[in-house]
Amino acid sequence: MTLPAALLSHYRRHPLQLLALAIMIILATMLWTGVHHLTSQARGSLEQSESAVAERQQVVRADGQPMTVADFVELRRQGFCVMPWLEVSRPADGRIVGIDPLAAACFGSQADGAPEPGNRLDGKPFVDISKAAELAADHRHELTLLIVPATTNHSLPAGYEHAAFQVGPDTGELGESFLLNLDALGVLVLLITALLVRSVYLLGLAQRRDSFALLHRYGVPQRQISQWLVVELLVLALICIFPGVWLGRWLASALGNGFGQALESLFDTPLYAGDSGGWTAPVLTMVAVVLTACLADGLRPWLRRLLRSFGPRHQHWWPLLLILLLGLVLVIWTHTLFWLFTAVAIVFVAFGVLAPRVLSGLADWRASRAGDPMVRWRHRELSVLARRLALPLVALQFAMTLVLAVQALVTTFENTFDQWLAQRLEAPFYIEVPAGADASLATHWLNNASEEHGLGPWHRVIRGRATVAKGPENTGQAVDVFGLGPIGPLVENWRLLDSVPAPWQRLHENAGVMVNEQLARRQGIQINDTLKVSLGGDTMTLPVLAVYPDYGRPAGEILVPATLLPETFDIRFQSLSITPGQLTMEAITGALEQLWGREQLTVRNNRTIQALASNIFDQTFLLTRAMTVLTLILSGTALLLMGWVFFSTRAWYFRLLLVWGLQRREATLQLMRLSLSLTGAITLLALPLGIWLTWVLVHRINPLAFGWSLPMAVYPAFWLQLGAMSLLIGLSITLLMRYQLKNSASTPVSANALAGGER
Amino acid sequence: MRRALLLMFLLVLAGCSREPEPAGFAGLAGVGDTNAEVPFLQPGPRDSLSYPKDFGPHPQHRIEWWYLTANLETPDGQPLGLQWTQFRQAIVPRPMDATPPAANNWPLQAAWMTHAAVSFDNQHYFSEKLARGDIGHAGARAEPFSVWLDDWQLQATGDPDRWHLQVTADQWSYDLTLELRGEPVAHGNQGFSAKSATGEGSMYFSLVDIHIEGTVTLNGNSHRVSGKGWFDREWSSQFLKTGQQGWDWFALHLDSGDKLMAFQLREKEGTYRSGTWIPAQGEPVALKPGQLALAPRTGHKGHPRQWRITVPDYGLDLQLTAPPGDYRNNGLYPYWESPVTVSGSHTGEGYMELTGYGSSSTD
Repeated sequence: MTLPAALLSHYRRHPLQLLALAIMIILATMLWTGVHHLTSQARGSLEQSESAVAERQQVVRADGQPMTVADFVELRRQGFCVMPWLEVSRPADGRIVGIDPLAAACFGSQADGAPEPGNRLDGKPFVDISKAAELAADHRHELTLLIVPATTNHSLPAGYEHAAFQVGPDTGELGESFLLNLDALGVLVLLITALLVRSVYLLGLAQRRDSFALLHRYGVPQRQISQWLVVELLVLALICIFPGVWLGRWLASALGNGFGQALESLFDTPLYAGDSGGWTAPVLTMVAVVLTACLADGLRPWLRRLLRSFGPRHQHWWPLLLILLLGLVLVIWTHTLFWLFTAVAIVFVAFGVLAPRVLSGLADWRASRAGDPMVRWRHRELSVLARRLALPLVALQFAMTLVLAVQALVTTFENTFDQWLAQRLEAPFYIEVPAGADASLATHWLNNASEEHGLGPWHRVIRGRATVAKGPENTGQAVDVFGLGPIGPLVENWRLLDSVPAPWQRLHENAGVMVNEQLARRQGIQINDTLKVSLGGDTMTLPVLAVYPDYGRPAGEILVPATLLPETFDIRFQSLSITPGQLTMEAITGALEQLWGREQLTVRNNRTIQALASNIFDQTFLLTRAMTVLTLILSGTALLLMGWVFFSTRAWYFRLLLVWGLQRREATLQLMRLSLSLTGAITLLALPLGIWLTWVLVHRINPLAFGWSLPMAVYPAFWLQLGAMSLLIGLSITLLMRYQLKNSASTPVSANALAGGER
Repeated sequence: MRRALLLMFLLVLAGCSREPEPAGFAGLAGVGDTNAEVPFLQPGPRDSLSYPKDFGPHPQHRIEWWYLTANLETPDGQPLGLQWTQFRQAIVPRPMDATPPAANNWPLQAAWMTHAAVSFDNQHYFSEKLARGDIGHAGARAEPFSVWLDDWQLQATGDPDRWHLQVTADQWSYDLTLELRGEPVAHGNQGFSAKSATGEGSMYFSLVDIHIEGTVTLNGNSHRVSGKGWFDREWSSQFLKTGQQGWDWFALHLDSGDKLMAFQLREKEGTYRSGTWIPAQGEPVALKPGQLALAPRTGHKGHPRQWRITVPDYGLDLQLTAPPGDYRNNGLYPYWESPVTVSGSHTGEGYMELTGYGSSSTD
């Protein structure tokens, strides 16, 4: 038998172990590659869109009308260097940007992002504007005219104004933070994987110690065995990593749509069609992780020396506690994401090292105080298990922590979003005003119906665009307009972040505007500030009456009474929110169809819109949820496997319980209590860390990453679910052990040889 | 410039639209967009010129240009050279009477490029503009005559023989009035100008007697200027043939009142020369390749600054000299465009255009 065959014979005897290693590597590679793939693509999109429009200005029409080819020609003929930017949304393939490279030539070196004339436009994401115009016929699109910043001091022709051009409302940094969050999750997945792979690998090494000794006795140098182990691991890693990367890319494409929606809905940064990294980075990263995790023993002497420098072993608690404290303090004090993540990492490392020791110490303490020999035995055994299964236990603890925190964050976000949506969707029914229909006919009819036929509260919503400037010195910013009329009970219950007294009444009197939170934050707008608002060619100066939360959209928005909108205002969309009251919806739609001469109207009820919104929300967080759940499954499976293998190695030892006179049922009960104590304790230890991480996500990371803070909430019901899952793992281990105890006594195996010498 | 530049320009456009066209033409037969329902028209000896229609665009031809060069003078006698050129490059041929595509679709059936340059006091100022056709911000029209790209424009005033040229670049500008004198001069055979021994060519005519007055502003200093101009109209559907390396073109105003246009297309094996002798009195005469000789008089590297042109049949033995300085138009694809002074058997001035000499500015 050759040396490699002799080495590999271990896995022939323990195929499950090989399978466990392979599955762990494949799953972890898949998870990390998926995240890396998406974040690379998203980061590329961010960079591309930011560099393409860095410090760019756009020209907008003063009357708020959309820009057209005629506007472009008008400005170019007057000597202004403007460049068309036609952005087309394709839900399945990301956005593409149509540009005119010939027109962009006058931007010279300032056209950094856009390809120069002569460079091929490959659709990643730039295409020739004629191609984009073709696609625009079937998809949502918007034409923007960029202007060279140097010309912004020149006065534009009458009817045009300068405005800041951003792909989204200054969300580059926020988008980057969001991706950093995902990266951090990815790193945590890698860490958990490393712990799991290492634990399984070390178990295998312990089991193979005798084989190695035998080979050594036959004259194989220790060095050669070690080299073959490295080769074995490398081959295993590569065999597993490639399908893992392939699966990861599949996962990324499956989640891409939802992720694109997340980027767009959270940061107004679309996921542009484009490359998103190759195979090299994931393969190299995963090989490095696997090799480091398994071959980190080379570092151990150095690690031991480091620990020794802290003093005797029993004093190691203090430096670890100090490190933990340092991390906790840093989380509170720091204001940058980098240091925040560093602090979280410090806390995790310290907690991870401390947790098995705390568990072991507590078990020993309980054992020393227990009078019942069986209780003492169980606690001592728990102490040993906590030390010997430290790596998979910490991995499961981290996974649970992650799941707890992400679940709390997502659920909180979802609840807040639901509340916000409920406020926005106060009316039970919504009717779209068809293009070309005269909405005033409908408002007249609805007014009458309200007075004479018992129609419930209703209002008309008008959507369009405007420019807003805070103070005369500021450049106007293009914002969405939310026109509303009449102002009534459907909106008066809105939660406002800040407001002047009786804001709705004052809005009704055309005495000001309301701004959404995003606009207020990014422009530093407060109530009572005065804004110069350009609406459909009319410019008016109005005070800010209130700031309202607007989690759904990051774009700047102003809420104005419909009566403030001039005749020339370009209405892009309008709808009617209706409470039928004593009328039926059929009667209302019938009357409106007759008024507008239409055969059918688009009517949506609240429930449909809620379902649609929830669907979008679920898509948005599909990636986060998938990552956490898969990590949890990975960790749970690893613990189950490790627990079973480890308990199996101690099967002969557990059988001594029968020898001591316990019935098999009683012995199984003892084992059950032992395994449940172990997995239950892990859940209990994960809980404080999970709650702390939730707090960090909600109150520290979230404001930096998303731009607003959410109320913190905890969800004990979910804790119970997690606890039940960990108990299920414990029970599964017991069942497997019960099966082992039933078997005839196996050869007494030295626990020392198998598990590092403790018994 | 002209042909070589347009060849390169086509490649630029190919970057925006479709696969690059062949870099050179193995022959003229079959030239055109084979995918197009309407083929590109190919000029031939049987074609004729029609004024003023031919001042306007020819959308079924692949390439064309409106080319003005001027030898001007400031009031204190300092020479000032000036160029304005607008090129049209068709990507999809379109019959003259066909309806242009809708501007809202940002069509890419043709592209435009304009070059403007001023040479003064041994300095050369150059600027370039690009645009797609059929949108409206670039185009040309025969009546009333107008050629424009953004705010640069050459257009007839109320009087069809008075044109107005306006160009504003970053640091300089010019605003000139052109007074057209004399009839257009058709080159070659009734306007068909052969560009190779095998007979391929372009339609080509010139306005050779233009009086120009106006203002040129350089770095904030305005100069009143006046002098002579030369305006070329040329269109074709072909580029340099395979093996043709570059182009040397000269338009000369002799003090005797005579004019000379001469060019040569340099080929690996031999050179194709042609020209038009335009006497002050009498009809223009197309010069056959054997009737004239053009030879650089300086060095072997870079753009030759000195040339000798001889036309023995008309007693011409001319020495041409470009002023000191670098007169390359450093646009997307650089080429040389400079004024020259004429000495030898005759004195005078004119313009010289050299392409295909690489990036070196001097010999």
